[in-house]
Amino acid sequence: MSTSTTLLTLRGTSTICLTDTNTKVWIAAHYHFPGVYSCRVPMSSMTSASALPAPSPGTVRLALVRIGTEQFGEEDTRDELFPIIRAMRIAIRPPQRVAFTVQRLRMYKSGTNKNHDHLEESIGCREFAHAEGPMTVYIEVPTRHQVTFHNLLVAIGYWGQASSLTQCLAVEHRAPVLSECAMPLREISGSQALRPFITSLVTDFRDPDIEWAQILPDPLEETKGGLQIQLYVWPMVIIEQHGGGRVLMHHSIS
Amino acid sequence: MDLPDRLPMWSLGLSCRVRWEAHSMSNVGSNGSNRLLPRRQMLANGIETDAISGNICKHYHAALFADHAALEDIPLCAACAVGDGRRAMALVGLAGYQHLTIDRILQECALCDVHGFLIPAKGAASDGSTEARQRRSKHSLFEWGFALGLPDRQSETTQLFTRMGNSNDEGQMLMKMPTRSAEYAMVVRYKSIGIGVDTNSWRVVVSDHEQRCRRNRVGLTALRDQILSPVGALTSTMLPHLSGLEGALSVQTRVGLAPILSALDPSFIDQLGAMSTGDCQVFVFRSPGEFATLMNQLISVSYPCLPAPRCLP
Repeated sequence: MSTSTTLLTLRGTSTICLTDTNTKVWIAAHYHFPGVYSCRVPMSSMTSASALPAPSPGTVRLALVRIGTEQFGEEDTRDELFPIIRAMRIAIRPPQRVAFTVQRLRMYKSGTNKNHDHLEESIGCREFAHAEGPMTVYIEVPTRHQVTFHNLLVAIGYWGQASSLTQCLAVEHRAPVLSECAMPLREISGSQALRPFITSLVTDFRDPDIEWAQILPDPLEETKGGLQIQLYVWPMVIIEQHGGGRVLMHHSIS
Repeated sequence: MDLPDRLPMWSLGLSCRVRWEAHSMSNVGSNGSNRLLPRRQMLANGIETDAISGNICKHYHAALFADHAALEDIPLCAACAVGDGRRAMALVGLAGYQHLTIDRILQECALCDVHGFLIPAKGAASDGSTEARQRRSKHSLFEWGFALGLPDRQSETTQLFTRMGNSNDEGQMLMKMPTRSAEYAMVVRYKSIGIGVDTNSWRVVVSDHEQRCRRNRVGLTALRDQILSPVGALTSTMLPHLSGLEGALSVQTRVGLAPILSALDPSFIDQLGAMSTGDCQVFVFRSPGEFATLMNQLISVSYPCLPAPRCLP
């Protein structure tokens, strides 16, 4: 087992020290939402979309793929990073409070009529969220790749779509407290106290055998449906709800 | 604050508080034909506040970009030159554009390059009348968040207007429209590194440094103008008064994102200052004049970095 030491300098804050081993290590990245954001619930209508309190594990993996391609090129990302990204454990701790408002937006849809492309304009609805407090993304990566993934986490600028801006505040070496994070419904013990936690469908692709082309298919080939949809429980409860929207507050699942 | 003679720019972040008086720049529609509804967003503390959508800001930034590009003789495609919001998509099927490549789009149009475009994939027609089409796209390099009103610094007045109906028989009609005054928290991010680059593969398409610099200058010029002279819905009759502007511009000079923070937090300028490093310079402005001076300096000295994929350690 190697014992080299790596120093990671965080922007404007402190310096942390991580010890390199051949094992895996949890990295925690804390994110600020500088504005509103909208991570769409899968299978909700494009023209009437509900939003999640925080990005799903699948959105985090896709963001890492996107930033990996930007920083290291497509080939290295596909061959070196993607095998780690598709297999890593991810935990997401949502912000302390999240408020949702349904916004009406002008939307455009490209269509074809008698082989002629045209753009249709209509009104659509989409939930937008505003958060108080940071959101934390935890990823478990091989120790020898921790610096690479530290850099990728810092460089993530938005979740899903570019209007969901985010800003990484700090990255540290910390394992998640799972009861504070979103988790699949099937992993919740039957003996836990029932509370009106928020549940939603989320996307993920945690599968060591999944292929690059299933997630990022060639534009001319059919999508092979690599994304899995799961039912998740968010450690959040509704504390306020009225015509203008609803406010959720973080509440540990345990 | 003086900037260096040459400033490489990987990305730019703008976090600011801007005060606009008596406007109605972003609305969600109307309730029937007699009431215009302003845009609202609930904040995490449960307070509902005034909002301006990022879509409308981006839309008008693109229009300003096209104007400046035309003035500077920077190439625009046939669609962007006439303000067609579909951008490169509008060229599909036109004579001379049968096999439109991303290289050609980025070379021939600065607006498609900087604000992005989408040509969706399409399967071949079953009768063979049309060929399959590959998806082509580019992400926008300018990213806008919603501008959110500071809850304790906003107000709204409902004004009664008269308007004419569709015919003389309908006579004069009444309509209520809000005029809003607020100090807004606003964030903008600009990834200048992506100029002339296919952002799906991060392959450099426009390698001419001068052409990339010119596109960068036009993007920054349009941003400066938009903040100082805002445009949006109903500005023909409710042009906002700009009565205050303060915040910080962060410039990332090497790989990475320039930080942005929500200006809803009163300490956002200090926090951004604390994020300043050797690779990230933070410039503070306290008035519209200081912002204009800073942007003019940035337009003149900044140039976009070139992506250089690194080897994995």
